[in-house]
Amino acid sequence: MKTMKRLALIGAAAAMGSAVAAQELYTPNLSYRTGPFAATGIPLMNGQRDYMLMLNARDGGIGGVPVDFEECETGYSTEKGVECYERTKDKALVTQPWSTGITLQVLPKTNVDQIPILAPGYGFSPMTDGRVFQWAFNTPATYWDAMSMILQEISGGDLASLEGKKIAHLHLDHPYGKEPLPLLEALGAQYGFEVLPIPVGISEMQNQSAQWLQIRRERPDFVIMWGWGAMNAGAITEAVKTRYPMDQFVGVWWSGHSDDLQLVGEDGKGYRSISWSLPNDDAPVMADIREHVVGAGNSLATEEEIGEVFYQRGVVISAILAEGIRVAQERAGKAEISPADLREGLENLNFTQARIDELGLTGLMAPFSTSCSDHAGHSGAWMLQWDGAKFVQASDLLQADQTPIEPLVEEKAREYAEANAPWPVNEACDG
Amino acid sequence: MLYRTSGQFKTTYRSDQALFPIRQDAFLLGIILLFAWVILPASASSFAFQTLLIPVLIYALAATGLNVLTGYAGQLSLGTGAFMGVGAYACYKLITLFPELNLIVAVLLSGLFSAGAGVLFGLPSLRIKGFYLAIATLAAQFFLVWLFEKWGWLYNYNASGAIQVPNVSMFGIWVAGPQATDRAQYFFVLALVTVLTMVTINLTRGNLGRSWKAVRDMDIAAELIGINLLKAKLQAFAVSSYLVGVAGALFVFFWRGAAEPNLFNIDLSFRVLFIAIIGGLGSVLGNWLGAILIVALPVVLNTAPHWVGLDISSSTVEHVNVMIVGALIVFFLIVEPHGLARLWALIREKLIHWPFPY
Repeated sequence: MKTMKRLALIGAAAAMGSAVAAQELYTPNLSYRTGPFAATGIPLMNGQRDYMLMLNARDGGIGGVPVDFEECETGYSTEKGVECYERTKDKALVTQPWSTGITLQVLPKTNVDQIPILAPGYGFSPMTDGRVFQWAFNTPATYWDAMSMILQEISGGDLASLEGKKIAHLHLDHPYGKEPLPLLEALGAQYGFEVLPIPVGISEMQNQSAQWLQIRRERPDFVIMWGWGAMNAGAITEAVKTRYPMDQFVGVWWSGHSDDLQLVGEDGKGYRSISWSLPNDDAPVMADIREHVVGAGNSLATEEEIGEVFYQRGVVISAILAEGIRVAQERAGKAEISPADLREGLENLNFTQARIDELGLTGLMAPFSTSCSDHAGHSGAWMLQWDGAKFVQASDLLQADQTPIEPLVEEKAREYAEANAPWPVNEACDG
Repeated sequence: MLYRTSGQFKTTYRSDQALFPIRQDAFLLGIILLFAWVILPASASSFAFQTLLIPVLIYALAATGLNVLTGYAGQLSLGTGAFMGVGAYACYKLITLFPELNLIVAVLLSGLFSAGAGVLFGLPSLRIKGFYLAIATLAAQFFLVWLFEKWGWLYNYNASGAIQVPNVSMFGIWVAGPQATDRAQYFFVLALVTVLTMVTINLTRGNLGRSWKAVRDMDIAAELIGINLLKAKLQAFAVSSYLVGVAGALFVFFWRGAAEPNLFNIDLSFRVLFIAIIGGLGSVLGNWLGAILIVALPVVLNTAPHWVGLDISSSTVEHVNVMIVGALIVFFLIVEPHGLARLWALIREKLIHWPFPY
């Protein structure tokens, strides 16, 4: 017991000692380069990191202030994530929780600690309601957007054509996988298609024979997958084994990792995944990264990885954050911003096509803008298709139909605020 | 010299049977309590509260619960994580169903649900022993986690399937939920854990504890001297699960703030079991030492490179950390297979004889 006290004191001293004031923008990333999800985490984190390093090398940071893009390792464990959050929150401008579990833990604290959460394309879909979730951002699109766009694409643009069809929702049995279910069920009731939720427990990710047996028996017209980490590879190999038609199998953006498809190669041809980022090796920003970071030997990524969807998505994620910082600096009129300033910046993102080209992100992302009440932006997304060797663009930019989503967002956001009362709601914003 | 026991005469049975018959022990405990109640809360940062102090208290309580069952009554259990879950979900349901209920009452009541589940899954212990019983409790582990996932009523049909701790106030102070301060949460946990630890120490010293130990050492002999095995084993399951359940409620309400069913999976059971084994089975102090080694040490090691100004990437630190903690566990188990508590007991004995060992 005595030792505990001593350790605690060391910890306390360490926490105090680290509060050094420096001229930098501290944007910690709760990364996971270890643990069961490392394979999907590493390319994303490398992309994020390399973009920030590139800004530091090319422009000397943002607005003249270098970015301190520190990683705090979580191994995708919620407990470690909270530890990282506590460790970084004194100086951090932003929290990048990188897991729906950590997001759920940190979200209620944001109103107290006043640090914005940036969860690009993940987290709790109702976070898009900026009136209720003043500090959380899930740009550029939510899981509910993803579900809406997937349904549009598989129905050929008209959801009514799905009537009488059966759609299986193969998902990780975790807050993340369950996230799109309320919308899918609501749409199923509206358009008369049958929804068949098939959960995959964390322990059975690699062996999904039971789930695929069920799919073979039920013969759903489409399988939509909300998978992550080892689950994607497991599902794709099982689908090949059971000869499920690949062109009826569609994944969310986290289920579009090239490595998972490389396992099956040709057999995976036709598999689709929705994505709000496109791989584009010719974008000027990629050339800058190759020159300033890879060329200088500072990148952790392999050459092959740099061309992949996930790495380039990581680049886009950091670009969104960097743009948020830039807008915040402009609005605050100073280079060294506070978390509250950054929130202001993230609320006023305006990624026009011209701005995207200016940043060198041409072809990597779609235009979107955020506002005080809309924290997602709903940029839309493309369908990517596996051609047997790599993912290629298979559709024009799709847009989610917000009509069924909006009331659902409002309802769930209100529920959340009520369950967590007292929860401040920003009534002032209506735009 | 420091631990000189000569001159401390016991003239009554009562004083001889006191919790701390040696004055220095009581003095040491006094210092530790002073630290826990006054010095640490006054000086700790929010990081220290959230990652060191509160988790060590909670894990130590959970390990104490398991130790009652495994260390004192000799029944191996792998269901600790799930029983913690029962406590947590029970507390969540109590608080959301009866918002005006006092949180202390809710936490203490939620232990009862967990005790009930423990007794139910402890029934096979009357027929099977050892590893076979471990498998039976493993069934509880998987079944209960499955139940947390599938039974929507437990998490109020929340779309994400997770439970979120609402803001709860007591006497005008926020004690749980995002509005609560670290200090309030720490004091709440500390008070409950202190009381429950004292109760446990006295239980294990009393009639009940003796019957558990008899069952542990040889159940046939225990039966022959008139101990009702059914009663003793089920009592151990009940008391153990009660403590574990309270620890689970504290775990979610005063530390994590939110929980998904997966939190209570087998990893948590193993973690608590390792704390109990490394700390020392059949001791209360061991749970604390074990919790410090398993819970607090990795956090300190993670911070250490930063603190001395070394710039190592955090994933490397994480890898090194796992290696160091693993090596330490092996080291301690080789040096003293009976756990850290036994190590302390040996040191203390040496101190008593020092400087004239024989």
